[in-house]
Amino acid sequence: MENNTVLSARNISKYFYEPAIFQALKELSFDVKKGEFLALIGKSGSGKSTLLYVLSTMDTNYEGELLMNNEKLTGKTQNELAAFRNANIGFVFQFHYLLPEFSAIHNVMLPALKLGKKSKEQIHQDALENLDLLGIKDQAYKSANKLSGGQQQRVAIARALINEPAIIMGDEPTGNLDSKNTDIVFDIFRELAEERGQTIIAVTHDDEFAAKSDRVLELSDGLIL
Amino acid sequence: MIKATNYKIAQGHLTSRVKQALVAMLSVTFGISMYIFMNGFMTGVNDIQEELAFSTLAHIRIYNDLPEDRSNLLVNYYQGDKLVNLRHPKVIQYTEGIVNADKVINTVSQLDELAEITAQVNMNVFYRNGLTQVNGMLAGIDATMEHRLFSIAESMKEGSWVALDHRSDGIILGVGLAKKLSLGMNDNVVVKTADGVTRNFKIIGLLETSLASVDNGKAFIQINVARQLVLKNHSYATDIQVNLKDFDSSREVARKIDTLVGYKVESWNDANGQLEAGNELRNYLAIAVSLTILLVAGFGIYNIMNMTVNEKIKEIAILKAMGFEGGDIVEIFLVQSIIIGLIGGVVGVIFGGVVSVLINNIPFELATIKTLPMAYRMSDYLSAFGFGMLTTFIAGYLPAKMASKVDPVEIIRG
Ligand SMILES: Nc1ncnc2c1ncn2[C@@H]1O[C@H](COP(=O)(O)OP(=O)(O)O)[C@@H](O)[C@H]1O
Ligand SMILES: [Mg+2]
Repeated sequence: MENNTVLSARNISKYFYEPAIFQALKELSFDVKKGEFLALIGKSGSGKSTLLYVLSTMDTNYEGELLMNNEKLTGKTQNELAAFRNANIGFVFQFHYLLPEFSAIHNVMLPALKLGKKSKEQIHQDALENLDLLGIKDQAYKSANKLSGGQQQRVAIARALINEPAIIMGDEPTGNLDSKNTDIVFDIFRELAEERGQTIIAVTHDDEFAAKSDRVLELSDGLIL
Repeated sequence: MIKATNYKIAQGHLTSRVKQALVAMLSVTFGISMYIFMNGFMTGVNDIQEELAFSTLAHIRIYNDLPEDRSNLLVNYYQGDKLVNLRHPKVIQYTEGIVNADKVINTVSQLDELAEITAQVNMNVFYRNGLTQVNGMLAGIDATMEHRLFSIAESMKEGSWVALDHRSDGIILGVGLAKKLSLGMNDNVVVKTADGVTRNFKIIGLLETSLASVDNGKAFIQINVARQLVLKNHSYATDIQVNLKDFDSSREVARKIDTLVGYKVESWNDANGQLEAGNELRNYLAIAVSLTILLVAGFGIYNIMNMTVNEKIKEIAILKAMGFEGGDIVEIFLVQSIIIGLIGGVVGVIFGGVVSVLINNIPFELATIKTLPMAYRMSDYLSAFGFGMLTTFIAGYLPAKMASKVDPVEIIRG
């Protein structure tokens, strides 16, 4: 394994038992490099989301092995994985899932407050910088549910970045956005990968989006094409 | 301790649904105040009952019981197959009353548990005024001591209770008895004992206790005079009445005294089982009703927290995705119900106290009471709050635990 490999999947299989036994992922093995922008594509139902949730450590019910920075994640307890996610993985979903009672900046600060590595003032400043990076610094103190859809998604991205995670994962992060906002999000991912060396793994339906990535993994019926 | 971040999130949830939180708080308030009121009221009723009962009843009574049943007198003298003919057997009580009451009083007075002790000479007599004759009880007593046990002076309608100690020819009559005899203050009444001894007394007081048995058929004279009436020595008594510092210990102390004196020793609760049974039933009733109400309050909290968890299920998923652990999620939701419980509980304790005072002031005239009874016991307030907190904790914990088990993958993939 090369030194700049950040994530390794080895013989990952995933079965669903309801309603009938069904193998959604079929012994997938691949490596993802540091700073790589990886797009996961494939037809609906091909297993993209399923794979992403296994890689994210949220789904632990799979066969095979998952390693991140040469650390074996398979077999760790839920609480260990939660702490690991908090420090190393940032998430962006199709829906933003912000806490509506909190302001934009407070939402961004949450993962860092949970991590507790920095002072509150430092976290606040970092959050402001992240919002600035995404061009919504002026919305920082607005309540999350008063922002537009595109603004909310950008707040969610700022939140995913706050702990400077090694990997940022997105399940159709632009699926709900118009083309202008999609471009903005794409440019941000590009920049994070190139300038900060953060790894991006994004599930997408958007061929244009995929075409601009470093590498495309296409899934079909649980296999990589 | 609760992490500040979790607390902040909990606060956000609460402030986003103030109305429901308020309803849940009110249900706790209602539950706790009802608990306080119910228990205070029942204890108040019990106290009144006891107060009334102890106005004639001592904690322990010592007296000379009839000999045990000896219908088969021969069993001790003839064994085996013997034919015996016995005609007209009779049980004879050799000694009547307590012959040496001073000695018994001295012995019992040594006990630490003792508060007051007094001797009485009680008998059945006829009261006569001219041709009118009424039968009733006559008690020879030490007026000062009698008052210490039964607070009887407070029930005097006319005349002075303690004056009896200085008037060997004086008698204090129940008002009803005096009326039956058509007698009033300073009139004379003739007392005739079962053995035919008669004596004239002057009425120096009238007693109104609200207990019919006393008011309509009892009178009091000096104990020494009573001894003369029954032709007994100066240490004779029919009853020795004992009050303890703590009447709850009556049974044990009675047993202890029983080993010291050769007479029948009976505690108030053995003599009057129905009193104790009534008290206990009322206590059970109060506890059952108030716990039911608290249970309802618990359901209120359970309900609102369940709704919150369901409504916030996506947030829970995202928090878990971001690295919040199961314990954090439990904290976030448990804190909410604890806040609801604490505020509702504090208000409930205050409200319960206010309601108790209000009820306590509702006029209700019966026997010696003027308003509805109420007891104010710290222990009721503490246990109301304690039970309230326990209910909220359990009612909040179940949905919180459920929230912590949410599988983020299932929620987020939609
Ligand atoms: N919880 C589940 N239970 C049973 N089958 C599931 C479940 N989740 C996904 N699947 C199945 O697994 C396959 C892959 O689903 P998914 O990874 O969501 O596809 P997509 O590539 O569209 O993201 C689909 O056939 C889907 O029906
Ligand atoms: Mg999908």
